[in-house]
This record gives sequence, C-alpha cells and structure tokens, in this order.
Amino acid sequence: MTALIEARGVSKRFRQHRRFPGLLGAFKTLVTTEYSEVTAVADIGFDIAAGEAVGYLGPNGAGKSTMIKMMTGILVPSDGTLSVLGRTPHLERMANARQIGVVFGQRSQLWWDLPLIDSFTLHQRIYDIPLARYQDNLARFSELLDLKPFLDRAVRQLSLGQRMRAEIVMSLLHDPKILFLDEPTIGLDVVAKDAVRRFLAEINRERGVTIILTTHDLQDIETICPRLIMVDQAKLIFDGELGKLRSALGSARRLTLEFATDPGPVILSTATLTSDDGLIKHYLLERDDVSLVQVLSEVGNDRDLKDVALHEPNIEEVIRSFYQRRNTAAAITP
Amino acid sequence: MSAYTAFVRSGFLTSLAYRNEVWANIFGKLVQVFARVAIWLAVYAGVTAVDRISIGDMITYALLGGVVMGATRYDRIIRHVGTALKTGDVAVWLLKPVHYPLYLLSIEAGASAYTFLLAVVPTIVIVALVYGMHPPASLFHGVMFVAYCGLSFIIHFLCAAIFGVLAFWLMTIFSLEWLLQSLISLLSGLLIPFWFFPEPFGSIASHQPLAWLVYYPSAVWLGRLDIMQTLLYFGFGIAWAGLLTLTLTLLWRRAASRITVQGG
Amino acid sequence: MRRTLGTLLLLVSMYIKSQMEYRGAFWLDRLAQIVSYGAVLLGMWILLQKFQLLGGWNWPELALLFSFQLLAYALGASVSFTQLRNLDDLVRLGTLDALLTKPINTWAYLIFSGLNIGYAGHIILAIPVLVWALLAAQVSWSIGTALFFVGSLLSAMSVTGAVITMIGATAMIWVRSNHLFAIFFGFWELTRYPLNIFPAGIQAVMLTIVPLAYISAVPVAVLLDKPVPLLGDFAWLAALLAGPLLTLIAIAHWRYAMSRYQGAGG
Repeated sequence: MTALIEARGVSKRFRQHRRFPGLLGAFKTLVTTEYSEVTAVADIGFDIAAGEAVGYLGPNGAGKSTMIKMMTGILVPSDGTLSVLGRTPHLERMANARQIGVVFGQRSQLWWDLPLIDSFTLHQRIYDIPLARYQDNLARFSELLDLKPFLDRAVRQLSLGQRMRAEIVMSLLHDPKILFLDEPTIGLDVVAKDAVRRFLAEINRERGVTIILTTHDLQDIETICPRLIMVDQAKLIFDGELGKLRSALGSARRLTLEFATDPGPVILSTATLTSDDGLIKHYLLERDDVSLVQVLSEVGNDRDLKDVALHEPNIEEVIRSFYQRRNTAAAITP
Repeated sequence: MSAYTAFVRSGFLTSLAYRNEVWANIFGKLVQVFARVAIWLAVYAGVTAVDRISIGDMITYALLGGVVMGATRYDRIIRHVGTALKTGDVAVWLLKPVHYPLYLLSIEAGASAYTFLLAVVPTIVIVALVYGMHPPASLFHGVMFVAYCGLSFIIHFLCAAIFGVLAFWLMTIFSLEWLLQSLISLLSGLLIPFWFFPEPFGSIASHQPLAWLVYYPSAVWLGRLDIMQTLLYFGFGIAWAGLLTLTLTLLWRRAASRITVQGG
Repeated sequence: MRRTLGTLLLLVSMYIKSQMEYRGAFWLDRLAQIVSYGAVLLGMWILLQKFQLLGGWNWPELALLFSFQLLAYALGASVSFTQLRNLDDLVRLGTLDALLTKPINTWAYLIFSGLNIGYAGHIILAIPVLVWALLAAQVSWSIGTALFFVGSLLSAMSVTGAVITMIGATAMIWVRSNHLFAIFFGFWELTRYPLNIFPAGIQAVMLTIVPLAYISAVPVAVLLDKPVPLLGDFAWLAALLAGPLLTLIAIAHWRYAMSRYQGAGG
C-alpha cells in the first residue's frame, strides 16, 4: 500500500529583518537592511498511510504549524519533496483542497455575526458537496458532537468549545480523505476537550479518515493517535508508536528497594545505585532489556528484601527530561 | 510622574519601531504640505495680495498648519479610547494606580513628538527652502506661537478624547472619527483661514474651540493679532481647554462608573 | 462558471446580512461620511466664493471634479479597500492561511466576502452633485463625450481598485502595508484638485508611479476640454487605457505577491 503522505528531506527557511534594541537601535533599524535566516523545518521525512492517525508533537516554535502549512499547500518547501494524495501540495493546491479538511485551532473560519448554519451552507457551496450527502453528513456529525441546539445561533454567541466543535464538523462535511488539525484542543475546557478527542478517534476508526494533528497536549495523542511524530528545533527526533517513545528518548525506569535490615551497600550490574538511605535504596534501570526479575535475582534471597517499587516514567516526564537534557547540553557546548 | 515619562518614551519608541512607516510618514506629509501651498498659489494666480494678505503670508500659513497639525492624530486617540471602552479593556487600567486619560495623553505626546521630529520638521524645512517662509512677526509673536502650539496640542487631545469616550454610548467609533474629521477640516482653519470666510461665519468660526488648533497659532506667527489680542485670545483658549477638560472628566467618570458597576 | 458565480453571490449576501446585524451603526456611519465629504465640498465652495477660479477652474467645474473622483473612488474601493486594507492582519492572524486551504480563488473570496456596501454614503453624496455639475459646467455634449464619460468613469474605477489591490497585496511580501496606504491617501486627496496646479514633479508622479491622476483630473479635464499637463492630446486615450492596463498589472502583482508569500518566489 502506498503512502498517502510522503515527506522526503523537507526543509523550510524564512528570512527575517533584523531589529536592534534600545533608542539608538531603533534609529539603526531605520536605515539598515540586515536579514537573519530562520530554519523552521529541517530535513524531515516520513510516510503516512491511509487510515492512520498521527500526532505531531513539539514545543512552541518547533516547526509544527509550518509543516502542516506545507502539507496543505499553503507554503512551499525550501528543500525536499512532499507528496499528498499523490500530488505536490502547493502546485495542485485547489485539487487537494477538495480532498482535505483543515482546522486551525485559534483562527475561526466561521462567520462571526451569522447563524452557524450559514457558514455550513457556504461550505457546501464552496466545496460543491452534493446536497443529499451534505445533509446526511451534517445530521450525523451534528448528532455526534451535539451541535443541534445552536445551529441557528450567531457564531459570536457560541462558547469556544462550541465553536471548535463546529469548526471540526465543517471541516468534515465534504468527506475529506485527510483531516489536518492545528492545535484543535487549545484553550478548551476538560469536557470540550474530551468530546473533541472522542469524536476524532471515532471518525478515524469508523470512516477511515486519516488524521494529522499538532498539539502540545499529550492527552490528545494518547486518545487519538497510535503514532507519534515528535519534532524539536526544526528536526525530527522521534517517529513511531507512543509506547516506544521512552526507550527512544532514553529515559530510564527508576527502582526502589526496601530492606528489613540494612544490608550495607548493594552494587548491581543490572541497575545503577543513585542514592542510599540504608534501608531504602534507589536505582536507575538504564537498559531497557533488563527485566525486574533479572534485577531481583541479582539482589538474591539472602538480603532481607521487604518491598520493591518500579516507576515507569510517564510520557510527560520522558519528554520533560529530554528537553532538560537538551538545554543543559546546549548550555555546555559553546 | 515617572510612570508617565515612561509612557511618553514608549509611545515614541513604538512609533519608531516601524521603519517603513517612518519614511512613508515623511513622504506623505511632504506631499500634503506641497499640495496646500500649490492650492494657494493657484487661487492667488499671480495676484500679490488679497484683503491685505500676501501670497507669502498664505504659504507661511499653509506651512504652519503642517507644523501644528502634522503631529497629533485625532483618529488614533479616538480609536484608542473608543476601543478600550467598548471592549472593556479599560477595566485593567482602572485597577492600576494610573489615570487612564493622563496615560493616554502621555502616550500621545510621545507619538506626537516622534512624528514632529521625524516627519514634520524635515517636511517644513524642505518646503520652506523651496517656497520661502516668513519669520514670526516679532520675538513676542514667535514666543507666543510656541505657547499656542502647546495649547493646540492640548485642545486637540481633549476634543479627540471626548469623541472617543462618546463611543461608549454611541457604539460606533467609525462615525465619531469621520465627524471629528469634518469638523477639524472646516473649523480648525487648516484648509482655509477664517479671514476668507464670508461673514458672519468667519466671526462664528473664530470663537469655537477648534479655532485654536491651527487658526490662532498661525495668525499669531503672522502678526495678525496685536500684543493685547494675542494675550486675550490665549486666555480664551485656556478657558476652552478648561471647559473641555471638565467635559472630558465628567463623561469619563460616567463611563468608568458604568464599567465598574456593570462589570464592563 | 455559473456555480462559482452563485457562490460569490452567496458570499455577498452573507456579508450584507452580517452588516445588517448592526444596521443602526451602519447608517450612522454613512451619515458621518456624507457630512465629512460635504464639509470638504463646502470648504471648496468657500474658497471659490472668495477667489472665483482655482487653477483656471470655476466652481461647477471643481464640483464635477470632486463628484467624479468620489464616485470613481467609491466604486473602485468597494471591491478592494476594506477587504485588502486588513490583509496584513489576515496574514498575521493566519486567516489567509485558512483561506488558502479552500478550493476557491483566494482573491475572489476576499473581495466578495467583504464587498463593501458602506460606500453607499459616498455614492449618495456624489450622484446628485455630479448631475448638478454636469448640467452647470460647460460640457459640450455629443455621442463621443457621452461615451467617453462612461468609459473614463469605468476606467477610473478600475484604476482605484487596481492601485489599492497592489498596495494590499504588498502585505503578503512585507507583512505590513499600512504605510503605503498612508502615501496612497496623501496623493488621493490631491485628486480633488486640477492637476495643473501642482509642481511638475508631483504631476509626473501622479501620471506614472502613483497613477491617481486618471481617477479624476485627467478624465474630467478632457471632458471639460481643458489642457492636461504632460499628456496633451493623448489625455483622452490615456484616461481610457489606464484602467484596463493597471488591472492587468495588478493581477500580475497579486500573483507574484501570492507566490512570494507561499515561499515559491525566493
């Protein structure tokens, strides 16, 4: 099966006019034309197959939105090749537009002063959706996301959560093959987030709509996306199943051993001792292939072991510790 | 007080940050002043004086109009006040130990100082070099012109701020902006000095507050008012400024209390 | 084609519908604009009471110039100005990006979803003044002049729309374009006066790089059989051709700006 989206060595660079700080700097900015080049996306490659749901994760400024904009044909890559539905997105933007749905979290595409249904009607006209199909989809999605009560209300009177649900429904009305979502849950409350996540997971499962969403909320990815692509400082740092992220980023499990009587220092080959409080000792399991059983057998039966606790770091910790290590590394290298 | 000097500074720097705007501003001003001079040259059509006003006087008048009106932007003030009131953003200011109208005055003073230095002065120098410009009628008139300019800025600010506060009730900043624009273009003397108005409109126009925006400062420079009149009309101007301050304060209190009572 | 047209009409009707949500403010705004332009006209009248002629033009002739300019501007700007003035905001807020993901021409969507009916105020003031001035000024009517009047008005309107479109599109390259609008309106105010009163430098600029002379001074001078500086006998032809020519340039510029925005043009 061929990939729906193919990215090969994709990069995007922007030029920025340089500004100088302070009063003198302000005058200097007036007369200089210096530019600095910013790399938003650097040499990224991946394949996404039909029916996948992929979370695109990274901190602010990591190049998530830029990548989405290239995949939807808004921006042209500076380097590399990109193919979406077999087409080069920016060259065949219009043809692609009919087969993709796009939701930008913070910019509404709805008509502020008009009843919600009017924006949907316009969408039907722009995408030339057969009327029966449109009505069918609208009825079904409205049902699922509970839009019915406010279809006739002006958009400006809706809550942020209601508006986001409406945006998502609108983006699906023309049966897109791929749905791109840029920060779909940003600013929503817990209940609204949950509704959006469950809906997206269901659309992906039942209709086979390929979903690509950027987020910095891990919960989004855990609920919707089996696959995770993680970027940092424009580069790809991980592509795979969420469960494999830990070993890929090299975050160790922590082990705590509690003894009934102090056995003295216990040095193991399978785990590294990090702190020793006598009765309670803490270890790091740096290697992923070491199992708890192996560690315990090394400890042996003769040392009065009372309790064992193994801490799997959660994803959030894994990522946080990754960024912390990256920052200290950056501080050391000049 | 130091807070307000900081506002002046930030108003100045914000304007400076956009370099294309800076050049465009200078250029735009230059075109405007050239045009105004061109209009007077065209209507005089070679005649040296009309009603004892020479063409040199009128060129000077057109340039002075650029000096006193070139820097302050009523539309910016109206929009600032109007939006802050309509969106309720002003509530944030009510919480700070700062008087919002004074804050605005400071910001505007900074922005005006910027426009004055970077757009108005170069423009006037260029046009004056091309067409020539009369010096002030006397040292006294020169000094009083500067004082009148200060008064002009204050009255300009007060009128614009009053229109801005009205947006709280009228709900349309747009109309207020256009209305004040029409009043200023006709009644400040910017385009046509009141001595060319048919009577009694000339006399009426020269006693309303907007006359202090352009007409009086320029008339003083040209020596159209003698020493007594110069001082007298300065007094009238201050009286107008007082009255406008009172109006602004009352309207502002009304709006502010509505906001705090109703929560915006 | 018919389907696209239907979509554009729907866009226009949706925009009007959303404007009418604030009908009171809408008409108050129109009133304010009529008063404001009325004040400009009144100022001109006061000046002409005192001086009779401005650069060789009398009061009815100047009123004709004023109303022709206002009408051409209103018609041209209604399909460009308010929609494209905020293009820099649309770029900054990402609204333009969202538009680019739709299967519809971006320019057409922008223009028709904001087709500005707010210029009704300009038109309500301009038409009676224009009719009065056409009768009061000495126009030697013939089929030729009548055709020229209509043709040059359409051309003037296209010049307005084209110049504003080019300025607006620049936002896609420079992110901000407001300063260019400031320059535009500086020159635009000059178009209320006959071209011959300005220094030769300004005349040349207004006939070439900021071609605003074609929205009023040139066509009205031709209509009144007055000399046009620099163009001379070719003034009538220039007045008629300026619109179509600038429209073509504006289309090319829009395409170029769009490709620069997307990062295709380097």
